[in-house]
Parts: sequence; C-alpha cells; structure tokens
Amino acid sequence: MEKKVEAQPILSMNSVEVLYDNVMLAIKGVSIQVPKGEMIALLGSNGAGKSTTLKAISGLLKAERGRVSRGEIKFEGTDITEMLAQKRVEMGICHVIEGRRVFEHLTPDENLTAAAPMGMSRSELDREKEKIYNYFPRLAERRNSLSGYLSGGEQQMLAIGRALVTQPTLLMLDEPSLGLAPFLVAEIFGILQKINQEEGMSVLLVEQNALAALEIVSEGYLIENGRVVMNGTAAALKSNSDIQEFYLGGGEGTDFHNVKHYSRRKRWLS
Amino acid sequence: MDWVFLAELAINGALTGLLYSLFAIGLVLIYKASSVPNLAQGGLTMVGAYVVLALSHDAGLPLWLAIPLAALIMFGLGFGIERVALRRLAGRPVIMILMLTLGLDIFLRGTTLAIWGGTSRSMELGVSYEPLFLGDLFISRIHLVGAGVAIALFVGFMVFFRSRTGIKLRAIADDYMASWSVGISVERGVGLSWALASVVAVAAGVIWGEIQGVDQALSLLLLKGLTVAVLGGLDSILGAVIAGIILGILENVGADFLDPLVGGGSRELIVAAVLILTVMIRPHGLFGRHEIERV
Repeated sequence: MEKKVEAQPILSMNSVEVLYDNVMLAIKGVSIQVPKGEMIALLGSNGAGKSTTLKAISGLLKAERGRVSRGEIKFEGTDITEMLAQKRVEMGICHVIEGRRVFEHLTPDENLTAAAPMGMSRSELDREKEKIYNYFPRLAERRNSLSGYLSGGEQQMLAIGRALVTQPTLLMLDEPSLGLAPFLVAEIFGILQKINQEEGMSVLLVEQNALAALEIVSEGYLIENGRVVMNGTAAALKSNSDIQEFYLGGGEGTDFHNVKHYSRRKRWLS
Repeated sequence: MDWVFLAELAINGALTGLLYSLFAIGLVLIYKASSVPNLAQGGLTMVGAYVVLALSHDAGLPLWLAIPLAALIMFGLGFGIERVALRRLAGRPVIMILMLTLGLDIFLRGTTLAIWGGTSRSMELGVSYEPLFLGDLFISRIHLVGAGVAIALFVGFMVFFRSRTGIKLRAIADDYMASWSVGISVERGVGLSWALASVVAVAAGVIWGEIQGVDQALSLLLLKGLTVAVLGGLDSILGAVIAGIILGILENVGADFLDPLVGGGSRELIVAAVLILTVMIRPHGLFGRHEIERV
C-alpha cells in the first residue's frame, strides 16, 4: 500500500461477487488492482476463491455455470464483466488454467498453432513461436513429440507458451508451481519474470506457494474464504508475522504449541 | 476352392466397405469435436440424398449443379443444428447430447416422410450398371465410384486436419476448457464439424441412394457406419477407412462361407459380431485415441 500507483491500472476488480449455479457464493466482494506492467500475486489456501477470481476475470466462469452477481471488472478502462471469454482473449487477457491442460494429442508446435489468433499471419506466428522457444528452450527440443508425454515442467512451460501466442497484455496463471520440483518452479518463475521485464506484460499470479511467489511479485493479495483479508507490497507481506506463520512456514519455530496456536488464530481470521 | 471367385468377393467387399467408410467419416468428424457418436448421421445422409433429388428431379437442375448446391445447403444445416440445439447443451453430460442426436434422427426421418413420402425413389446418377471386367473379375462401377469418393474425402480431411483451422478443431476435441482459455471458439468449431459431417452425408447419400434407392431406409446405414467407426476407433479418419475395408471383406467373404450353413442372414451376424467383439476386446478400436498415461 505504501507504493502509490501512478497510472491507471490495467485491471481493476471492484467488490466482485461470484455465484455458482445461482446458489453457491464462491467469492464475496473481492477488489483487486493490477497496475500496468507489474506482477501481482494472489495468495491463499485451497478453496479460498483464488481460481474463481481468475475465472471471473477471464470469463471462463460461464463454462462452469458460474456468474458475477455483483460488482464490476474493468480492463484498460472497459467494463468486461459480461463479455464473452473469447472477446477478452482478443482484448489481451489470457488465463493459464490450473493443472496445465495442454492439448495432449497435439504436438507442442500444434499447441502453439491452435492458440494463434484468427488474424495472425503465418510469418507472424512463426516469429511468435521462435520467441516462445527462446524463452523455453526445452520445448524447442520436443516441439514435434506428443504433448501428453512431456514432463510436468515441460507441460507447464507449454501452457504458458500457448498463452503467450495470444499476445496478452495481462497474463494470469493459476498455480503454475503445482506438483513441480523446486528447481523447476524456480526456472519457470525466472522465465515469467524475464517475460514481464522484456515485454512489459502485466502478470496476475495465483499461488499456494507463497514463498516462491513473493520472490518475484511486487505486490500481493491474501484471500481467505472468498474475501481479500490482506494486501501489500511483497516486502511488507513477507515480513508480516501472520503470513510468515500461515503461509511461509517460518516465524518463531514450529513446535507443537505454536501449531495449536496457529490453527486457533486461523479460525479467528476466517 | 475357386480363387477367382474369392478374389472377386474380397474386392467387391472392400469396395462396399469403403462405402461404409464414406458414411463413417461423418461420424468421426463429429465424434472428434463433441466426443459423441452422432446417432443422426443416418438421418443426415438420408436428408442429403433427398435434397439432391429435390434440386435435380423436382427443380430440374443438372446433377453436377444439384450436388454441390445440396452440399452447401447441408453445410448450413449442420451449422444450424449446433446453433439451435447443441449450444444449449454445452457442458452437459454426454448422454444428453447422445439423446439429442437420437431425437434429431427421428425428427429428420419424420420430416422426409411428411414432405416426400415413403416411396423409394431412384437417384439416376447415370453410372452404368454393366459390371467392369478386370481380367476374370466382375466389379461394380458405382461401388468403384463411391470408393473413389471415400478416398478423396479421406485425403482431403487428412490435409484439412493439418491446417490451422483443422488443428484448432483437434484442440477442441482434446480440451474444451483449455480451448476457451486461449480464445478458440469452441461453439464455432463444433458447428464446423457438424457442417462438414453434413457435407459428407450428401456424398454418402448420393452414392448409397444410387445403390439402394432413396427412402427412409437410408438412415439405417447408421448401424454399419457405427460399426466401422467403432472398429476404426471413433476419432480416427484413417481408422474409418481401414475398418471399412476390413468389415466389407469380412462380410462379403464370410457370408459366402456361412450363408449355406445357416441358411442366409449371416451378414448381419458378422457385423454384429465385429461390433460386440471390438467393444469387448479393444474399446478404442484399431486407431482410436486412448488416454495418455505418463510414467
């Protein structure tokens, strides 16, 4: 909060509420701002509402019979709350969904082709592919094998690369570190940082792995039970004692007494 | 054993089989995009044949014009089916979509019965009924033409699925959610697969209409077409072609051996046995996609 945002944010979400099947309230008044060119993290535990927040922004809620029942989402000043998902991709929002979900029966090269916007020329697409293979040299080596047989890390890279083909200005990633070895998480996060710096792409990163996420983002939001409970710069969040206790596994040691204390506090928070 | 006769049975069986493939390619196209065997493919084939008849015999257009025009109309019909019926079912269980296609088949049969009646009409393509002699072998000309059409469509679709639009369709078949996430219009893709399958239905309707006459019985081709598609693997066009040839030969040669023993009707038994055994022994067929499991 200390850092004042000068320009208009690329994305702003104001008191958004999401209903699934018209009955289940998944997020309850979430407000988030992503400043242009920044990397922002959305932290929180399982089922806190992080994925729902991303789906509200990308428009994928509809596919799961969810809808925004209150509040508004603005992207570069335009209200996109009710817009078709496809339209939002054209505007520059791309959502790397949870669980990698590459097109398994297509090769990495075809995965990239599949994501190409309708108007993109062949030479433009080739240039875009080369750029992506430069960011992810491992993919270049396996560009013609079946994507279903790639390793978890390679699939995550492919999922990110596939999103980059749509030429987003806001890249949203849902748990890219899920199930990956720490050295791979470091590699992928390093590449994300590079993309953010070289292309000026804004990034909204959803993570349970708060430790890794807070290393690369400038600001973070903490979501619990469908509400934003904390917001601040990465440095402020890292030094916050609650965050340290609950999400970073640090703090004043982890003896049994403290663990009991923390679950009691956690109940209070929610 | 009369080898010439056996060869003749095998070749004509293979040609008939390719005509089953011609039908099955339509099934595969829709299965690839929607993961549903389209039970209305027989109905579409029948409608395709009737539309050609309506344009040529009723409206007096020459066949070379009537057939492409019918293909165009059916292309639109395929898109329309997605827009009106299927789009509402997106994200619902597959069984719902399956039932919808069954309902559509019944609807199409009823509609043609109401408009054109149930009397069998002939297509009159102008292909001679004189058999072709290949040495000592008798070969049916219309079957040869149909087999050629099937192979041409096969080659055309192999090329198509390597194009950008084709790759997008394959992506949709793989994962709807991931397709939406990168801005692929799943709805338009599914619509396109129905449109293409409807065009294939015109080709199958014309050839089969010439062979057995145009009436509601054309929609029963579904049973053999489905057997071929299942044996080939439901989502493999190459599979549909090869399975068609296999089923055609099995049926023709097998029936020649079995019919004297059981007193006729063994063709249907062979088809049924192939369908049941495929599902029991090799559910994803000869060339079907199976779930990828990494170790």
